[in-house]
Amino acid sequence: MTAAIIDLQSVSRIYSTGRVEVPALRDVTMTVGEGEFLAIVGPSGSGKSTMMHIVGCLDRPTAGTYRLAGTTVGDLDDDGLARLRSRTIGFVFQSYNLLPRTSALDNVAAPLLYQGVSRRERVQRSTAVLDRLGLRDRLDHEPTELSGGQQQRVALARALVTEPALILADEPTGNLDTAAGAEVIALLRELHRQGRTIVLITHDTEIAAAAQRQIHLRDGRIVA
Amino acid sequence: MSIFELIRLALSRLGSSRLRAALTMLGVIIGVASVVALVSVGQGTTSSITSRLSSLGTNLLTVNPGAARTGNTFGAAGSSNSLTTDDADAIRTLDDVAGVAPELSSQQLVVAGDSNTTTSIVGTTPDYMTVRAYAVWQGSFVSDVMVDQRLNVAVLGATTAQDLGLGADAIGSSVSIGGLPFQVIGILQAKGGAGAQNPDDQVIVPISTVQKYFEGGDTVRTIGVSVSSAPQMDTVKAEITALLRDQHELAADASDDFTIFDQAQLLETASSISGTLTILLGGIASISLVVGGIGIMNIMLVSVRERTREIGIRKAIGARARDILSQFLIEALTLSLLGGVIGVLVGLGVSALIARVAGWPFTLDATTLIAATGFSAAVGIVFGVWPARQAAVLDPITALRYE
Repeated sequence: MTAAIIDLQSVSRIYSTGRVEVPALRDVTMTVGEGEFLAIVGPSGSGKSTMMHIVGCLDRPTAGTYRLAGTTVGDLDDDGLARLRSRTIGFVFQSYNLLPRTSALDNVAAPLLYQGVSRRERVQRSTAVLDRLGLRDRLDHEPTELSGGQQQRVALARALVTEPALILADEPTGNLDTAAGAEVIALLRELHRQGRTIVLITHDTEIAAAAQRQIHLRDGRIVA
Repeated sequence: MSIFELIRLALSRLGSSRLRAALTMLGVIIGVASVVALVSVGQGTTSSITSRLSSLGTNLLTVNPGAARTGNTFGAAGSSNSLTTDDADAIRTLDDVAGVAPELSSQQLVVAGDSNTTTSIVGTTPDYMTVRAYAVWQGSFVSDVMVDQRLNVAVLGATTAQDLGLGADAIGSSVSIGGLPFQVIGILQAKGGAGAQNPDDQVIVPISTVQKYFEGGDTVRTIGVSVSSAPQMDTVKAEITALLRDQHELAADASDDFTIFDQAQLLETASSISGTLTILLGGIASISLVVGGIGIMNIMLVSVRERTREIGIRKAIGARARDILSQFLIEALTLSLLGGVIGVLVGLGVSALIARVAGWPFTLDATTLIAATGFSAAVGIVFGVWPARQAAVLDPITALRYE
């Protein structure tokens, strides 16, 4: 087995609202190796959003340990998490989450801004990635001037521009029609072929079928 | 993130909502403009008062007679006849006295050809020029010999000469003052001023002449004393007091039968009043600057709310809390500084206009400009910090879910 990028050991995440404790993840153990394409599948309420937050270093586990690319996440403060996200993860969200009133180019360049990359290099790298995703002639377009499929491709470009160890896609086809959705899935498969590690989170088993391996969540536990 | 990146980000953000940015800045613009304009008005008033007072004579002490007293009835100050030419001569012997000019004046009708005017005829000595800071425009001033000889010679004030239709060629001509013939020997340089206290509307003659024809006796109305340097003012004042008490043979427990008026004191009082006024005006104007700052805070808070999702996205893709903090802080700072700079320009324009209308010199005071700009920057930071902190501490998950 190749080196593990994601290594979850008995991870739990419990939300406390007042006196009630709601466990969203219970004792999850999972590893994802380099170059894998994994789908995490589950209906709503199964804990897959929490899983996304934990894996994406937006949240810390309540119990258990999570190591991402060799770094133990639980030990980090907020800035540490931000730095880890910046270096290691490229996010693709269901609702694209592009910066409003910002050109496609600047959107893709934004993660590089927080890595302290020079403006010239930011433009160069962002243009290259957008070019690769067929958006060469959309560099100056703002999100509202792009179709859903194009927006999601811009989001994908933004996830790729930092050359992250992990692409984390949260229902990337959720807001797209079938054709555009298929296109995004095809792109993810293409990236996987190029050797990228991809974790796809979805409720749609059909979409999940595109992945190399599937993990099914129910009530915060891995069931398959 | 470098400061330039942050400024670029802030400018592009403000550029995308120009109207809102302009309205937000307006508060700061008005605040800074009014601080600059009002402080400049205050300083203009101060310098105008100061220059007007010093045109009356520098380091000037004015000795006036005390109140006339009949039994227990006191007259107005200056109504007694306690000062004489001898007193003036005695004062002249003191150290540090640059000039002594006794004055005795009388209202008389002055006639030159077809023109006439009733004005004040001031009898005095040559020192009057130094003491009251006059200069001769044409001809010459009253000399010691003329005083000794009680000559009927007259030096006309600029306004008086104008009223009588006399110019440079009038030197040597004859005018009638109170029915007596006087020879015009000079015309004074105009000092500027108007109304009842116009320093240019008077006729100067030897004091002995006034005593001889118009007022009689050897009393004088006022003795102007010019002190050689400002630090000596108090000493000389004390010396004059002692001297005059001695001259007038006053008992040790008797009160002075004269008063000494200190020009410097007046100047000091006047500038301290207008200085206080300047601070007051500036203070009131600062309130509007603070209100402008609250406007910025308000807009930044709204902005943080509206852009919650953007903040979430930025955090997800690697922005640290301090990146978000500095982004919003720089945005507030850009707003307030830009407003401050525009406000300074507007304020300068307004104060130049006021200076023009009021007729005092327009001065560009670097301290005010730096202070106003610095203050507006401070307003941006003070009122920007809280909204920026709100933004920085947002939890990325919550922020991303925010609709």
